[in-house]
Amino acid sequence: MSILYLLIPLALILLAGAVWAFFWAVGSGQFDDLDTPAVRVIMDDDDRPPEDNKE
Amino acid sequence: MARADTCFHCALPIPANCEIRVEIGGEQHPVCCPGCQAVATLIRDAGLERYYDSRDMPDPGAVRPAEDAGEWQVFDREDMLAAFADLDGPRAEATVYVGGMYCAACSWLIDAALRKLPGIASADINPVTHRLRVAWDTSSIGFGRILATLADLGYKPQPLAPDSTERPERAEQRAALKRLLVASLGMMQVMMFAVALYSGQFQGIDANMERFLRLVSFVVTTPVVFYSARPFFAGAIRGLRARRPGMDVPVSIAIGSAYVASIYATYTNGPDVWYDSVTMFVFFLTVARYLEMRARHRSVDRSAALASLLPNTATRLDGESRQQVPVAQLAAGDVAVIRAGESFPADGSISAGRTSVDESMLTGESRPQPKSIGDPVMAGSVNIDGIVEMRVDVTGTDTTLGTIGRLSERARYARPAFVQLADRIASYIVVGILAIAAAVAVGWYLVDPGRAFVITLSVLVVTCPCALALATPTAFAAAGSRLSDLHLLVTNGNAIETLSRATHIVFDKTGTLTRGMPEVVQTVAHSPDFAEDECLQIAAALEVASTHPIARAFTHHQSARTATGLEVRVGAGVEGIVDGRHWRLGNADFVPGADAAPQDDDGTNVFLGTEGRLVATFTIADTLRGDSAKTLKEIEKMGYSVSLVSGDGEAPVARAAAALGIGDARSRCGPDDKLQRISALQQQGEVVVMVGDGINDAPVLAGADVSIAPSHAASLAQSSADVLMLGDSLGPIVTLLHAARRTMRIVRQNLAWAIVYNLSAVPLAAAGFVPPWLAAIGMSASSLVVVLNALRLSRIR
Repeated sequence: MSILYLLIPLALILLAGAVWAFFWAVGSGQFDDLDTPAVRVIMDDDDRPPEDNKE
Repeated sequence: MARADTCFHCALPIPANCEIRVEIGGEQHPVCCPGCQAVATLIRDAGLERYYDSRDMPDPGAVRPAEDAGEWQVFDREDMLAAFADLDGPRAEATVYVGGMYCAACSWLIDAALRKLPGIASADINPVTHRLRVAWDTSSIGFGRILATLADLGYKPQPLAPDSTERPERAEQRAALKRLLVASLGMMQVMMFAVALYSGQFQGIDANMERFLRLVSFVVTTPVVFYSARPFFAGAIRGLRARRPGMDVPVSIAIGSAYVASIYATYTNGPDVWYDSVTMFVFFLTVARYLEMRARHRSVDRSAALASLLPNTATRLDGESRQQVPVAQLAAGDVAVIRAGESFPADGSISAGRTSVDESMLTGESRPQPKSIGDPVMAGSVNIDGIVEMRVDVTGTDTTLGTIGRLSERARYARPAFVQLADRIASYIVVGILAIAAAVAVGWYLVDPGRAFVITLSVLVVTCPCALALATPTAFAAAGSRLSDLHLLVTNGNAIETLSRATHIVFDKTGTLTRGMPEVVQTVAHSPDFAEDECLQIAAALEVASTHPIARAFTHHQSARTATGLEVRVGAGVEGIVDGRHWRLGNADFVPGADAAPQDDDGTNVFLGTEGRLVATFTIADTLRGDSAKTLKEIEKMGYSVSLVSGDGEAPVARAAAALGIGDARSRCGPDDKLQRISALQQQGEVVVMVGDGINDAPVLAGADVSIAPSHAASLAQSSADVLMLGDSLGPIVTLLHAARRTMRIVRQNLAWAIVYNLSAVPLAAAGFVPPWLAAIGMSASSLVVVLNALRLSRIR
C-alpha cells in the first residue's frame, strides 16, 4: 500500500495540471461562446478554400 | 425552409406579381424584393449559402439590405480610426456591436464573410453579446470596408469606443466557470479519499495512511474553500452588513466551521473529518449559482442598444464646408445636414428645407409627420424624403431618446421584484436555520458535549437550502432553453415566474398587433376607363422612385408597367409617365380634382390623377397581423384580460380594437401615459404583461411585470423586454403563457419536495441519527431529484 504515498501526490500534480489547462482555456475565451462552434463544425465540413469558389 | 409564399431570405410575405427569384443550391427560391435578392446573391457568391441551412429561422427585419453603404467610408479616416480602434503600427483592433444577429448561423456567416476579406488578422464574434472583436492590417484594408461588408450582409454594425468594449459579464462568467471547475475536481478527489477513509473505519486502516489521506484531503479542500466558496463568504459579509442575512450566512458558517473543525481533527488526530461534506456542499451550491448566472446574462446589452438607434456619424456644416463627424462630436448650436433615409443624430429644429419624418418608433404615430423650418425633430427619428438642415439643441442622453432610455431604467428598478421577495423570505429561513442549529448545539452540549459539534454540523448541512436554491433556477434554465428552441428568448429569469401569475395583457398597436407597414386597404376608382388593379399597378410604377414609407404599400402591386420621367416632389407626391400618359400620385393638394373627393379618416389617403382629373383614391393603413385575432381569442380563452394602448390616433386604434374585440383601448398615449396606465392596473392588483415594439414602449416594457417584444422591435424596446419573440407572428405568446404555467407547476413541486425533505431530515439530524456524510449525500440526492424534475420541462411544445 505504500505505493499510494507516491501515486496520490502524482495524481495531485496531474490535477493541478488539469486545472491549469482549464484556466488557460477559459482565459483564452474558449468557453465564452458555446453555441457557435457546435454549428461551425458541421458547416466547415464542406467549406472550400475561397479561391475554389470563384467560377 | 421558407414556404413558397414567403421570401426565402427574410420570410416576409411575397407581394403579388413579384417574380424575383434567386438560385441557391441549384434551386430557384422566391424572394420579396431586389434588396433581399442582392443579399442572398451576395451570400451565395461568397460560398456561404450554408447559412440558410443552419440559421434558426428566417428573421424578418433582422437581415435586410443596408440603406447606404457610402456612410462607412468615413471610418477609413485617420481621426475616426483613432477614436474607435486600438492602433499598433499597421495593425488595428476594434470592437463592433453587430445589430440584427440572433443565432449561431449569423455569427458563422459574419465570421466566414470577414475571413474572406484580405488583411483580416482575426475576427471573434460573440452571439450572446452581439460583439465582434476584429483585428486587421490597416495597409491592406480599411475599417470602412469591414463595416460595409457587415452592412451588406444586412446587419447593423456599430463601432464602439474602446472604453465601452469590455462587458463585466464576461469576466464574471469566466470567474464563475473557473470556480465551478475547481469545486467539481476538488469534490471528486476528496470523495475518492473519503471512500478510503470510511472503509478504513470499518475494516481498519494504517494510522499513517489515515493521517496521509486526511492531509491530502486538506490540501485539495483548501482551494475549494478559499477560491470556489469565496462568493459565499463575500455574500454573507455583505448580507450581514446590510442587516439582511441571505442564504450565504448559514452556508458560510457550515463551510467555515466544518473546514476549521476538520483541520483541527487532522492536527489532533480526532475521530472525524468533514472535508467530503465541505467540497460536495460547495460544488452543489456553485452549480446552482452558475445556472442562475447563465440565465441572467442572456439579456440584451442596454448601452449599445440605445446608441444603435442613432447614426454612427453626422454631416456637420462648418460654414460652407460639410464634414463627416462622429455623432458624439456634435454639440448644441451645430448645424447638421440630414439626407433622405438617414436618422436624426440629435434633438433640434429644422433650419432649412422641408421633409416628412417617421417618428413611429418614438411616438407610435403610424403616419409620417410633415416638418418644415422651425419644427422640432427628435434624435432617432428617420428623415423620409427631403434633404434638411437642422440646428442641434440637445445631444446624447438629454435627448428625447435618452430620456426614454432613462425612463425605462427607472421603471425597471421600480418594478415589483420577485427577487427582493425571495431574498426577504430567505432571510427568515436563514434566521430559522441558525436558531435551530444553535438550539441543537446548546441542547447536545448539555447532553453529550462530544457529539454536539458533529450533530450541529449535520443539521446545518441537512437544512442547507440547496434543493430549495436549485428548485427555481434549474426549472427556469430548463424552460428557458426549451423556449429558445421554440423561438422565444427569455432574457430575464424571473419573467417566467411572473408570467404564470399574470392576469392582464396589454398590447401596443403599431408594429405589434399590426404589421407596422402601410398597406393599401381600399381602392376607389373614379373613372370607368381604369380598373382598380390597373390603378394600383400604375401607382406602384410611379412609387418606385420614392423612399417615402407610403411607397412601400404599393410594392406588392408592382407589375410589368414601368414609369419614365419620374420626379419626386417633397411633401407632395410623385409624377411621371406611364403608358404614354402623365400621372400624378400624392396628396390632395398635389393631384388636381382631389379636393372634392370623399376623404376617409381611417387611414392616409393617396390620390392618383392624370391630365387634370382624379382617377383613383387609395386608402393606406397599417393592417393587422394575420394571426392577431386568433391569438387574442386564445389568450382570452385562457382567462386573461386584454387591453390596447397606442400612441397612434383615435380612428386607427378604434378600428383595430373593434376588429380584435378589445374593449379597453386607449389612443394618443405617450411613453409616460402608457406607463401610468400600467401602474394604474398594477395598483388594482393586476399582474401586467406588456407586448410592444417601439422606442416609446421601452419605459412601459420596463415597468410592466413582464414584457414581451417581437424581434423586429427597436433595440431599446428589446433591451427593456424580458422575452423576445423571433419570427413574424404573435402565436408564440400563447405557447409562452402555457409554458410559464407548466414551469411554475414544476417549481412548486420542487419547492414542496425540498421543504418536505428538510422538515423530515431536520428532526433526524437534530436527534443525532444523521452523520455529516449522510447529510451531504441526502442533500445531494434531494438536489438531484429537483434537477431531474426540472429537466422534464425540456419536453414542452
